[in-house]
Amino acid sequence: MTAGNGRRAGSPYAPHTDADEEAMLDAVGADSAEELFDIPDEVRFDGEFGVSGTDEQELRNVMADLFSRNEELTEFLGRGHHAHYVPALVDDLSRRSEFLTSYTQYQPEIAQGFLQVLFEYQSMLVELTGLPVANCSMYDAATALAEAALLANRLRRGASGHRVLVPEHLHEGRLGVLENYLDGAEMEIGEYPMDDGAVDVEVLADLVDDETVMVYAETPTVRGVIEERLADIGDLAHDNDALFCLGSDLVALALLEEPASVGADVVVGEAGALGLGTAYGMGLGIFATREEYLRQVPGRLVGVSEDSADMRAFTLTLQTREQHIRKERATSNICTNQAWVALRTAMHMAWLGPDRLVGLAERAVTDARDLAARLDELSGVKAPLYDRHHFREFVVRTDQPAPAITNDLAGRGFAVHALDDHHLQVCITDANADAADGLVAAFEEVI
Amino acid sequence: MFEIPDDRKYLESHEWTTTEGDAVRIGISDFAQDELGDVVFVELPAEGDELAAGEEFGVVESIKAVSDLYAPISGTVTAVNEELFDAPELLNDDPYGDGWMLELEPADESEFDDLLSPEEYREQTE
Amino acid sequence: MNFDQARFSRDDEYEPLLSEKDSTTVEVDSEGVLPDDLTRDELTLPALSEPQLARHYTRLSQMNYSVELGPYPLGSCTMKYNPSFTEDVAADPNAGVHPDRSDRTIQGTLGLLHGLQEYLADIGGMDAVTLQPPAGAAGEFTGILVAKAYHESRGDDRSEIIIPSSAHGTNFASAAMAGYDVVELPSDDDGRVDMEALDAAISEETAALMLTNPNTLGLFERDIVDIAEMVHDAGGLLYYDGANLNALLGRARPGDMGFDIMHYNVHKTFATPHGGGGPGAGPVGVVEELAEFLPSPMVRETAAGYEQYEPESSIGKVHGFAGNWLVLVKAYAYIARLGDAGLADASAKAVLNANYLASQIDLEVPYGPFHHEFAATSGDRDAADVAKRMLDYGVHPPTTKWPELVSQAMLTEPTEVEDKASLDDLAHAFNAAYADSDEALETAPTKTSARRIDQVSAARNPRLSWQALGDDE
Repeated sequence: MTAGNGRRAGSPYAPHTDADEEAMLDAVGADSAEELFDIPDEVRFDGEFGVSGTDEQELRNVMADLFSRNEELTEFLGRGHHAHYVPALVDDLSRRSEFLTSYTQYQPEIAQGFLQVLFEYQSMLVELTGLPVANCSMYDAATALAEAALLANRLRRGASGHRVLVPEHLHEGRLGVLENYLDGAEMEIGEYPMDDGAVDVEVLADLVDDETVMVYAETPTVRGVIEERLADIGDLAHDNDALFCLGSDLVALALLEEPASVGADVVVGEAGALGLGTAYGMGLGIFATREEYLRQVPGRLVGVSEDSADMRAFTLTLQTREQHIRKERATSNICTNQAWVALRTAMHMAWLGPDRLVGLAERAVTDARDLAARLDELSGVKAPLYDRHHFREFVVRTDQPAPAITNDLAGRGFAVHALDDHHLQVCITDANADAADGLVAAFEEVI
Repeated sequence: MFEIPDDRKYLESHEWTTTEGDAVRIGISDFAQDELGDVVFVELPAEGDELAAGEEFGVVESIKAVSDLYAPISGTVTAVNEELFDAPELLNDDPYGDGWMLELEPADESEFDDLLSPEEYREQTE
Repeated sequence: MNFDQARFSRDDEYEPLLSEKDSTTVEVDSEGVLPDDLTRDELTLPALSEPQLARHYTRLSQMNYSVELGPYPLGSCTMKYNPSFTEDVAADPNAGVHPDRSDRTIQGTLGLLHGLQEYLADIGGMDAVTLQPPAGAAGEFTGILVAKAYHESRGDDRSEIIIPSSAHGTNFASAAMAGYDVVELPSDDDGRVDMEALDAAISEETAALMLTNPNTLGLFERDIVDIAEMVHDAGGLLYYDGANLNALLGRARPGDMGFDIMHYNVHKTFATPHGGGGPGAGPVGVVEELAEFLPSPMVRETAAGYEQYEPESSIGKVHGFAGNWLVLVKAYAYIARLGDAGLADASAKAVLNANYLASQIDLEVPYGPFHHEFAATSGDRDAADVAKRMLDYGVHPPTTKWPELVSQAMLTEPTEVEDKASLDDLAHAFNAAYADSDEALETAPTKTSARRIDQVSAARNPRLSWQALGDDE
C-alpha cells in the first residue's frame, strides 16, 4: 500500500507522511484515525462505492474520450442563453488561484482584490441599467426573475392579490423556476399574450389590476424580438402600483433603451453570455433595482468603506438582509452565488470597453437581420416570422417539418432548435457568425 | 452597569416608555443598544399608524444583528424621530434622549400597568 | 510564518478602480441598425488596453488570499485544495455545449451527468439524485419542495419544518421560502439534538426535520436512528444538510441513517473551487419513494444511450437549465480521481487534522468528540479580534461567533489537505493571536493589504458602485 514518498495510497491531496501521521495520532492519543470516528455501529457503512480511483493522466484521457462522444456541431442555438467569443485574458486571469480558490470575502482585509472586482461588476451593471443598486450575482436569469417577484410581493404585502404577470413567450425554464419560488409565498402567475412576437400592450392593459404585484417583460424576448413599447408597459404597472421588472442581458443593454428610462424597477437577466459561454446552461443572474428597495435586495452586496489607515477599502455590506443573520426572515436563502462567473463577466466587459460592447450589440441586430434575409430567400421558408427588430435570434417558419430539418442540419454539422412542427429558432453571435454561409448552404440542401 | 432611568417603564423586549404631556414617548434601553452594537439602520412606522400593544412596529439593525421593536402599549403614532434615519448612531449615543423613536397617543391607559417598573427591568438585565 | 500581503496603493486608495483609470463615453448612434427611439443615448465605461487590464486584475489577485496560498480553516465551508487537472477537464472545448442540443448529439455530457448521479447516490446511500440545484441553499429549497410535493400527493397538509437552532442559516430561509413555519429546536447539554425537545416539537404538522450530521459542532448525532424513527412515526421526512459530509465519506451514509432527502455541497466535499463565493452545486438525493418528485430533467441510461426525462410527478425546475455544469464536471473528475480509497482517506485525514489541530491550540474546545471540525472558544477574548490578528500570521482564521451555542466560537475545519507542518503553523497563529495584547488584537490586521475595515460606516452610508463615490468625494 505504499505509494512512494513514504505516503500510503489514499487521497493524492492529503499530504501526510507516515511519520506525520504517527506523530499526530500520538498527540491526540489515538492508535488510528478510525478511532476518532464517533459513529454508532448500527449506522456504520462497510460497503464500497465501487469507484476504483484513477491516475491523473489516465483520467484526463478518459474524460477527453467521454466528451468526444458529444458531436461537434456548430450551434445556432439561443433562446435566452448565448455564447459570445470569450477572450483569452478572461480564461487566463480568472483561473489565477488567488481568485479561483478563495472563499466569500468574510475577512475583507485579506480579500480586497476579489471585493474590488465585484464592486466594479456592480458598477458596470449600474451603468448599463441606470439603476443605482446591483447585487454581485444570482444563480441565473430564472432565479433572478423569481427573486424579483418575491421582492415585489414583500413590497406589496398589503395588495389585494399576489399575481405576477409574465409574457406568453417566456422560456420554460424561467417559468418553471418562477412557479416553484412563488408557491411558498402563495403567489400566482398570470400570462399575457404577444402580438406578432411582442407584448400586446392593449390586452396587457386589461389584465393589470390591483391584484398585480409585478409585471414582467423581456427585451429581447426569448424569441429574439426587441420590445418597442417598454415605457407603456412600465406605466401600466405603475398605474396599478405594481413593480415593472425588465429582463434583458448585458450586451442588449449596451444598445437598447436604458431600463431606468422606461421605468424599470428591477432589472434581471442573464450575463453569462459575456465571459462564460454556453456551459450547458450554467449562467449568471443579474439583479439591479432602485435605491428605495435596497433593504429588500436578495444576495450579496459589496460596498465602500475606509480602513484604519484611512484608505478606501471594500467590504460585503448590509448583511443583515441575508440568511446567516436573518434566517427565516432573510430576503432570500441564497448563500453561495456565482461570484467567479461575475468576475469573468466583468473582465470580459472591461476587455470589450464601451465601443466594442456597443459594436457587439449592433452586430447582434444586423447579423440576425442579414441571416434572416438570406434564409427568407429560400423557398418554403419565412424568416423572420415576426415583423419586428430582432436581437441575435429569430423564428423561422418552414413549410417542411421543422424537426426533420433540425435532424438533417445536425447531419451537416449544425445545431438549430425546432420550436414546433413548422417553426425553428436561429441564433447568431460573433461565436458562430463565420459559419453562417455554411448554415445557409446546408439549409438550402435540406429543405 | 447600564443606565435604567427611574422616570419610565419598560418591556421585557427592552423598549421604554415615558410620558411627555399627552403623548407617550418610546425608545430602546441602554442595555439594548449595547447588546446590538453600533446601530446602522432603523425602520419606524409612519405618523398616523395604529399600533396594538405587543405588535411589531419596526426594526433596528447593527452590522451583525437585527432586532424587532414591539409596541409597549396600544395607540396612534403622533410623531416619529426622523433624525434616526440619517443618524442611527443617536440610538447608541443617547438612547433615552435624542435616540427616542416614536410618540403615541395612548388608546388604553390601563396597559401601563402591564409594563415593567425600573426595578423589575433592572432585575431582568442583571 | 512571516507574511506580508501585496498592497498596491496611491494616495488614499489601494489599486485604483477601472473607472479611475479610464472613463470613456461613447454616443450610441445606431443609424441603420435600429430606430433612434429604441436605443440608449450613450454608454460610459472604462476603455483600457489588454496590458492595462492584465496588470489591473493581476494586482488585484495579489491582494486576495486563497487556498493555494495557505490554510483556510473556515468551519462548515470545507476549503480544501482544488486539483488543477479538474480545471483543464472542465475547459475541454467539447464539454461546453448549449442546453438546447438534442440528447443524441450530447452523449458525452449526458454520460457524465448520469455517472455523477450514480456516484452521488452511492456515496449518500440514496436511490436517485438530481444535479440541477446550483448551490447548497438551492439544494435545500429543492429538497423541501420535494418533501412538500410528497406530502401533498398523499393529501397530507403539513405546515412545519423543525430545525436545530445551531443549523446553517440557509436551512431556516429555505424552509420559509417553501412556505413552511420554522420550529427551532434547542441543543442539549452535549451539543446534540435535545431528544425531549424533539419529541415535543414533532407533530402531525411536521413536514420534515432538517439535520446536519455531524452537526455544526462536528459532533455525530448518536441518536440518529431513534430520531429517524420519531420523525417517520409522525409521518414526517428526515432531511440531511450535506455541508459536513466530508467527515463521513466511506464510513457512514445518510441513507443508512434513515435520511429521506439530502443535498451534497460538491464545492465543499468534492473539491470544486469556491471562486470567491461561488459557483457551487447542490445536488439532491432522495430515497426511492420520493424519486418521482425530483426536478426535471433527470438523465437515464437506455439501450439507445443516455436520455433526459421528466420524473412522473416532478416539482419542475429549480434552475433555468441543468444547474452549474462546470462545477459538476469538476466534482465528477474529483470523485473518479480519488475512488473509494481516496475518498475514505480524505475523511480520515480531515478528522485526524481537526483533532490534531485542536490538541495543539491553547483555546478550550467545549464539545466533543468532534470529527472534521471543532468549535473552540476564545473565552474572554473577542473571537472576531482574535481572527483579525490571525490574518497577520498568513493564515485565514476560522468562522467566528458561530454557532452561537459556543460563546466566542471559532469554528475550525482544517480539511485533509494540510500536513503536520502546516497545522503547526496554524496552531501557532491561533496561540499567538489568542495570547496577544488587547491593543494588538484591536489594531489587527497590519500585514494584510487593507487594515481593519470600518463595517459600520459601510452600512450606515451604503455606496455600492463607483457612480456613488462621486456623491461625497
